[in-house]
Amino acid sequence: MIVGTRKPLVEILEMVKPYHRLLLVGCDTCVAESASGGRRETSELAAALEMAFRVAGTDKDIRETCVDRQCIHEFLLAVVEAAAEADAVLSLACGAGVQALAARLPKTPVFPALNTQFIGETAERGLWLENCRGCGNCLLGLTGGICPITRCAKGLLNGPCGGARDGWCEINLAREITPPVTCAWLEIYDRLHSLGQLNRLLEPLPPKDWSQGDAGGPRRVLRPDQRP
Amino acid sequence: METLIKVVLLACEQACPRPQLWIKPLAEAGLKVRMVQEPCSSKVEVFQLLRLLARSADLVWVVACPEELCRLCEGSIRMERRLAHAQDYLEEIGLERERLGLSLLAAEDEAGRGKVIDTIRAQAQSLGINPGCRQPSAGKE
Ligand code: SF4
Ligand code: SF4
Repeated sequence: MIVGTRKPLVEILEMVKPYHRLLLVGCDTCVAESASGGRRETSELAAALEMAFRVAGTDKDIRETCVDRQCIHEFLLAVVEAAAEADAVLSLACGAGVQALAARLPKTPVFPALNTQFIGETAERGLWLENCRGCGNCLLGLTGGICPITRCAKGLLNGPCGGARDGWCEINLAREITPPVTCAWLEIYDRLHSLGQLNRLLEPLPPKDWSQGDAGGPRRVLRPDQRP
Repeated sequence: METLIKVVLLACEQACPRPQLWIKPLAEAGLKVRMVQEPCSSKVEVFQLLRLLARSADLVWVVACPEELCRLCEGSIRMERRLAHAQDYLEEIGLERERLGLSLLAAEDEAGRGKVIDTIRAQAQSLGINPGCRQPSAGKE
């Protein structure tokens, strides 16, 4: 899923302050799971904005709605209707959702309320971890299901480096990270060990073809069988 | 006409089975009091706290069971964390964190109830009218 975090209120206020009628649009899938842009968070932000503007001396017309998936155009039809009465829209979706909504609203400014962080997992309640960079050429099958590109701070294909200490990644020395980052390559080792596949490490991984990743401009997936 | 300070109590019905024991002394102190009984404080969400402050309250106070008596085991603990999250929002808005409060109290703890009522009264009076709250003329609640 995509993990997001709310922008500071002051930044959001700055973006939307020229507009009187605001529509907040949440997204009830990924960003709801990461407790940043679902139905509840949309209502929180609506109430907070209402108060913040009032404290600053203006009363705004603030409305809110939420869709199941903002990145899928079929889900946006009701929002397009509701947005007809708004001067601006504030989206609590990931960057993909904000852009899909903006494409549907050519005459209405659409602003992001979140910072889209990464593709990740809910590791524990209240803790989300990045675990995929969308490299376009997944090698998890070779690394015991643990991504070295994302979870190794150096993105090493053949680790570990010499910096790991007691199972922890060297990156913890560079800055304070809570909870600390484990060495992905030691995790890969342990995992392959428990799978009885340590022999995989005898064969170094070849240089990666990065042209499948984001270095080659915007990517496309085209499926003729799914086309209209 | 004098504007009364509005206090909303969100009370776990296990902790506050008799609303009048709360409403009466606070109303006698000149506050406008409303109590919303909840099946458990774990049901109180951040957006509800903020929405109450935006639309109808100068001070919102949650009364929950002590941690060891909480029916949902973690309801009171999680409530404290959600309240802190809502208070962070207030800080960003430029409002006092103290406009949201929480007390953990057993229903039979009369002395404790008296102290909490005193705290609510003092806090409401010192904070006064919430400048972030919609005024009655600005629209319906
Ligand atoms: S190898 Fe690439 S696609 Fe697979 S998890 Fe890592 S970044 Fe994602
Ligand atoms: S300590 Fe491990 S995870 Fe960290 S950079 Fe070195 S190999 Fe990668």
